[in-house]
Amino acid sequence: MNAVEIHDVTKTFDAVTAVDNLSLAVPEGSVYGFIGPNGSGKTTTMRMITGIFYPDRGAIRVFGRQMSGARSEMIGYLPEERGLYRKMEVRPLLEFYGELRGGRNVAAEVQAWLARLGLAQWASQKVEALSKGMSQKVQFIAAVVPEPKLLILDEPFSGLDPVSADAIREAVLDLRRRGATVILSTHDMNVAETLCDYIFMIFRGRKVLDGTLASIQEQYGNDTIRVAAEGAAVEDLPGVEKVRDFGHLQELRMSRGCDPQEVLRALVARARVTSFSVMKPSLHDIFVRIAGPAAEEGSDA
Amino acid sequence: MRRVLLIAKRDYLTSIRSRAFIIGLIVAPILFGGGFLGMALLRARPDIKDRRVAIVDRTGAAAELVIEAAREKNAKELFDKTTGKQQAPRYLFERAEPASDVNAERLALSDRVRGGELFAFVEIGPEAMHPADDTAIGENAAARRAAYFTNASGLDASREWIADAINDGLRRARLAQLGVDRSHFRDLLRTVTVERMGLIARDPKTGEIGAAHKRGEIEGFAVPFTVVTLLMMIVLVGASPMLPAVAEDKTQRVFEMLLGVATPFELMIGKVLAAMARSLTSSVFYVIGGTFVLVGLSLTALVPLSVHFWFFVYLLAELLILCALAAALGAACSSPQDAQNLGFLLVSPVLVPYFFLMPVLSQPNGAFATALSLFPPFTPLLMLLRQTLPGGIPVWQPWAGLVGALAFALAMTWAASRIFRVGILLQGKTAKAADLVRWAVRG
Repeated sequence: MNAVEIHDVTKTFDAVTAVDNLSLAVPEGSVYGFIGPNGSGKTTTMRMITGIFYPDRGAIRVFGRQMSGARSEMIGYLPEERGLYRKMEVRPLLEFYGELRGGRNVAAEVQAWLARLGLAQWASQKVEALSKGMSQKVQFIAAVVPEPKLLILDEPFSGLDPVSADAIREAVLDLRRRGATVILSTHDMNVAETLCDYIFMIFRGRKVLDGTLASIQEQYGNDTIRVAAEGAAVEDLPGVEKVRDFGHLQELRMSRGCDPQEVLRALVARARVTSFSVMKPSLHDIFVRIAGPAAEEGSDA
Repeated sequence: MRRVLLIAKRDYLTSIRSRAFIIGLIVAPILFGGGFLGMALLRARPDIKDRRVAIVDRTGAAAELVIEAAREKNAKELFDKTTGKQQAPRYLFERAEPASDVNAERLALSDRVRGGELFAFVEIGPEAMHPADDTAIGENAAARRAAYFTNASGLDASREWIADAINDGLRRARLAQLGVDRSHFRDLLRTVTVERMGLIARDPKTGEIGAAHKRGEIEGFAVPFTVVTLLMMIVLVGASPMLPAVAEDKTQRVFEMLLGVATPFELMIGKVLAAMARSLTSSVFYVIGGTFVLVGLSLTALVPLSVHFWFFVYLLAELLILCALAAALGAACSSPQDAQNLGFLLVSPVLVPYFFLMPVLSQPNGAFATALSLFPPFTPLLMLLRQTLPGGIPVWQPWAGLVGALAFALAMTWAASRIFRVGILLQGKTAKAADLVRWAVRG
């Protein structure tokens, strides 16, 4: 069963089409990553799933139920714009949000989550006394108490230190293990690759990628060479249309029909090659191919 | 409904625990009651310094008798008959000979007033003894009247005092011309007090005809004015903080998190209910305080129970109007500065009718007062004012006004919820009036 089904949804704001004829199915129990450049429509899509915005056209179903403005106690939502009542103490604030969504006392769950994310000693402090990272963790707890069936996280890792990010990542995976469906947006391609079962990319309001990482990479084939070579330039190699220089190694994108053996031969003739591997493109590379400056120029032409 | 009540409870508890609420509870009555306190202080400590007034009598026959009239008026009014304490200033009239150069004489007397030697001077025109009927107009108007020259500012009660003395003196002069003996003057010119009384009615329980009660300034002005001012004060103290609070929640981006768990309508209604509850809390303090004052002054009969009922009905209607407006305006703000700028717009449904209190008080059952009090945004204040006045108003009018006010309040809430829904997620742009209208119409 799908946790979320989006059918031919369009949302416009004045003259801007934020989401254009989008269809998407999020399987229950999966972690679904939303990627895309800023302003591409990720947040608008998430807001429509939670019922904050209504689509102009199309329909959205959450666990088979049509969303029509009514908030569901099954959905936990962490918005991109972080905002909490600054004058409230952490524990009463979380109990308020939890009771608002779940309709019951959630004191025990709040206590457990505060302990899990290392915030127990801050429970009686006002929100304004917390650091940005701690506030973000508090807001994450507000989204997951009481435990939702569908968790929507808009850029949950932005601004977090590695330890806090790991704690949130662990919590997300744990919730998924307990049956929750997670939709998250991120600009960190590594997060999308390693955490998400499915990746959906939206660009200028339209869906441009949707599927597992492997299926997305399959669309592009083995067109990438990762090479490390001593003392030689890798530019102007035959069949190579783009080079990304990482310092100690370079990533070469081959043109269609290019033979990697030809590239290797040309490279060996120029320098001492210490490493050479043919691979599928990374998600980062795919993202840049779709939404980078070259793609912008191509679409503008 | 559960979510509405939870939001209302949180907002209510947060606001009544705030320092601003507690300070407002104490400061508001002091600010609004300051005027009454000032008047009471002025009455308790009147200015009793002697006031010298020069009389330029161009009739040639009145000056001496005007001075005599003033002397008798001083003797009659100067001291409190119970305590024997001086309660008013003594007016000392002195005669100034009319000069041929009128302007030079006026300038000289004006300089004496400016120098503090005189309080004022009065010129009695040459034809003032027997003026024609149209004394105020025509070619010789100045000759037929008396003129009072002063640099006294503000509400000058002396003019009335001096006018009484001059008219009394002129009447004496006319009687003297008719050959009436001076010993008869006092009796002929004696005045009687006209007491203002309320109507009498039959007691519905006993069937007996009740006694008429004296009606003074307190019933005719002070009680209605105080009741309406109290309503305005409670509404302002209760609703005003809502606008900056909504704007603050919006700029701190609290709403999106809440919108994940409650609809915009639930959020707004929760906030409106909290503000209304806060106002009712403060009103309990003020009404109890006011009741104690009335009991202390033995004036409880001046505010019948029906007025209490209408007071709370109008309070709720006015609060609903203002709180819904505050929610809409708060959602339109993009900074605390915007909230300050829009504050005047928020209080206008209360302040504008407040400016009409005096015209309505002077003719409470006139067409103008009736029409204004049936205009829904003004109904709570102006209808209550008319109901509190001793004469009362037709029974249908408060009910008609209430229906209009409630319909207006509900329409306001509906429009505000549509504005609120769009406005709370709009960041970085202050909505214009046209935007608010568009959001209210289209949602």
